[in-house]
Amino acid sequence: MTASRLLGAVLIVLAAAAAFSAQSLEVPFAADPLGPRGFPTTVAALLAACGALLLPARGAPFPWPERRLAPWLLIAAMAGYALLLAPLGFLPATALLAALVALVFGAPPLPALATGGATSVVLWALFDRVLDLPLPKGMLG
Amino acid sequence: MEALAALGGGFAVALAPHNLALALIGCVIGTAIGVLPGIGPLNAIALLLPFCLALKLPPESALILLAAVYYGSGYGGRITAILLNMPGEPSAVLTTLDGHPLARQGRGAAALAVSGIGSFLGATLSVVLMTFLSAPLAKAAVAFSPADYVALIAFALSLLGAVSDAPAPKAWAAGCLGVLLALVGVDSGTGVERFTLGALELLGGIEFTVLAIGLFAIGEILLLAEQRVRAEAAKLGGGRSLSLSELAGCLPAMLRATGIGFVIGVLPGAGASVASALSYTAEKRLHGKEGRFGQGDLRGVAAPETADNAAQIGNLVPMLSLGIPGSGTTAVLLGALLMYSITPGPLLFEQRPEVAWGLIASMYIGNAMLLLLNLPLVGLFARLLLVPASVLYPGVLALSFAGVYAVSNSAFDLLLALGFGVLGWWLRKLGVPLVPIVLGFVLGRMLEDNLRRALSLSDGDLLALLASPVSLALWAMTALALLWPLLRRRAA
Repeated sequence: MTASRLLGAVLIVLAAAAAFSAQSLEVPFAADPLGPRGFPTTVAALLAACGALLLPARGAPFPWPERRLAPWLLIAAMAGYALLLAPLGFLPATALLAALVALVFGAPPLPALATGGATSVVLWALFDRVLDLPLPKGMLG
Repeated sequence: MEALAALGGGFAVALAPHNLALALIGCVIGTAIGVLPGIGPLNAIALLLPFCLALKLPPESALILLAAVYYGSGYGGRITAILLNMPGEPSAVLTTLDGHPLARQGRGAAALAVSGIGSFLGATLSVVLMTFLSAPLAKAAVAFSPADYVALIAFALSLLGAVSDAPAPKAWAAGCLGVLLALVGVDSGTGVERFTLGALELLGGIEFTVLAIGLFAIGEILLLAEQRVRAEAAKLGGGRSLSLSELAGCLPAMLRATGIGFVIGVLPGAGASVASALSYTAEKRLHGKEGRFGQGDLRGVAAPETADNAAQIGNLVPMLSLGIPGSGTTAVLLGALLMYSITPGPLLFEQRPEVAWGLIASMYIGNAMLLLLNLPLVGLFARLLLVPASVLYPGVLALSFAGVYAVSNSAFDLLLALGFGVLGWWLRKLGVPLVPIVLGFVLGRMLEDNLRRALSLSDGDLLALLASPVSLALWAMTALALLWPLLRRRAA
């Protein structure tokens, strides 16, 4: 299975899902000739056509990267950040995220902690003090 | 002469002290993010947008700042390309071919000087062309009917496949994905909820900043995390500095590159990467025998850098005059104007001249500032390359999330941005270009609205879409743009 063939198949499935979801849209009264269905269905058909064009392509097999684990660690850290931001508050959550990212990018533990602390304080000063944008206070507030 | 009078009015806006300061700040930020790999003008502008709104900048000042970041980034990408042999911006790929060999030979300073002067020349000449072209183009577009707009947007989207570096079906598929993403939420025409999957947070549609920051900032960092590249920067000084005769030798190449870059830039859907590739190839064909292309030819640095900056300015022309962005970053700039409830397009030059002409005037000033910043201070910007990845990327990522949160105040949008980040990461691995997604996202709603208006006017008769000569010509060009890449592939 080449990467491009896989992509083509995924695009066709996605287009079918979008077209199927568009067919269920109902308007109580006919307001205008186009309606909510026509445009998304057309775009989904075009997407499926693009997917079909990719199916016969012969390309390189999927390239596996050098460091397979690193991006997944980052994704876990970011998902954790999204969920913990409100309960923990901006400063601790951001410090934690930045420190974890620094670790993934190869910093030793102590400099990673320093990066985390500095990043969160600088951003907090910028958003809260200078720009007066709302940030979650969490347990420190 | 009308244009000159209007430009005078623009200078009155651009020369106001706070606007001068904003242009300078934008130029510095632009050059800096151009230098840093992993953060580009697109996500930088998306991140700066909440700042502009929070500081309550008037629209013309916000646009002057954001545009300066945009064209400033064209000056920064070359520094990384020449010293590190990796492009700071995608459009600087071609600059590495001759720029890095020059740096290895100790002529890094000369390569930086010639590319800086080329960037300035390409950008400034393009601003001159823009001064005289924008208003007439806008005037012609005032007469466009909704059906004409449908054809114009279809043409812009079809061109994505013809001019992208990626295979055409991948570029088109990305454009379709962007259009479908734009449809998420309550349909303004019929009041029906579409593609929300039952999530209340999606009723209002997907926030543009969330999409842009997710795809570009988060996706790029995920991609960087799995590579292990630590390139050694070449030394700046050493060899002979740039002589006047060498500069004169590059001048014809720069002028040709300006022409190529501006024309490619004005075409909707075609970006700076295409322009720099085309102009490099053109110079190589012209001087292939006597030149030392690939081993350190100054013209091989001058041409792509000049074309890059010329195309960036050219990209702004359809955005301002027609309301149709020509690249991902101009799509973000359009999004910024829309957040200020200003609709770029034919009427902008008449109704908000201070925005349109203030921007154009500020670009003359900004490019002069950039030349002054980039010739003597290039070493300072090159220092940015010493910032280790483990300090830079935590900051970029935390800033991205804080920016998303400041716009929306919801954990849902943080997760959505992360989802787009994962999507961007995988699409990049599969060779799907991301810029068409952003363009499709911005143009999608516009396309459906105009289609709806055109069909309401004609009572649902589809033939009305082909009624005017303008729309017929545009549909014919669309057909060509669709067929050409397919035929080219068959021939290859």
